[in-house]
Amino acid sequence: MDTAFRKIDIDIYDEDTLQESELYDADPRDPAQVLDDAKQRQAAVRSSLAKGDIGEALSITLDNAPYGPGVDAAKEITLQTLLTILNSTKSTEITGIIKTLSQDSQDTLMKYLYKGMGMPGWGDISGSVLLGWHEKLTEVAGTGSIVRAMTDRRTV
Amino acid sequence: MSNVLRPYLAAVRSTLTAALTLENFSSQVVERHNKPEVETGTSKEVLLNPLTISRNENERVLIEPSVNSIRLSIKIKQADEIERILCHKFTRFMMQRAESFIVLRRKPVQGYDISFLITNTHTETMLKHKIVDFIIQFMEEVDKEISEMKLSLNARARIVAESYLTAFNT
Repeated sequence: MDTAFRKIDIDIYDEDTLQESELYDADPRDPAQVLDDAKQRQAAVRSSLAKGDIGEALSITLDNAPYGPGVDAAKEITLQTLLTILNSTKSTEITGIIKTLSQDSQDTLMKYLYKGMGMPGWGDISGSVLLGWHEKLTEVAGTGSIVRAMTDRRTV
Repeated sequence: MSNVLRPYLAAVRSTLTAALTLENFSSQVVERHNKPEVETGTSKEVLLNPLTISRNENERVLIEPSVNSIRLSIKIKQADEIERILCHKFTRFMMQRAESFIVLRRKPVQGYDISFLITNTHTETMLKHKIVDFIIQFMEEVDKEISEMKLSLNARARIVAESYLTAFNT
């Protein structure tokens, strides 16, 4: 006898079930526009990196970071940009730079650090860079920042 | 603790401390049931974002938090075939005795070598920082243990081979 019907989740047809989209407010921007933004920011970050202003480069990337479904390309670009910044920072300067960021940017940075570490074959960046940043960010922003990275549904 | 391992363990420690904020929470789907939400996964509003901490591709920790339980899975470093066998035997030995470790899970999560399931009951009956210490100590010890076993295995193999081959030496 066919028993596959037992595995069907009938609860999703209930009117009261919670949808994924109800967990957070969707990004008001259009996916194509988000992608454009990400590309523009990448260029802006390059120019401020050339000037050697890492704090500015970081805050450009972390402001209005793309989140939610359908913007995977923009997320990818933002992550790549961020990893370039993180890689080109001297380890002695990290704490000073983190202190200049706003709390929201710090939380977004924390999300990206975890995302970077969670990537299966994370390109050209070594784990010790991300772990070093994570340690210093936790020192400045505290455990609360990790909790916010954990609970925020607006995944980057 | 070696200097290269320290940032990795520090990251695991801070993440685990952040994740271990659990409370009693009954199932929203089945009445009068109280299950670890991270295992049942029936209501998505109580599951939080899973976090990965990795040193490199072969050494990583996955922490899946939820409202009343967290699941922590470890991928142990396995450089070669011998280490893979030793690691498998070692984790299997412990997972068969999972009750004695209380927080140990009987099966690892897919892609990882060993998993721990910490529920709100554990954080209520035991001290939170001691649980964190236990996990960190476990991670420190397991690498050491496996490399020690590998060394003694090689030494033993050498002695066996020598004493066997002396028979042909005369």
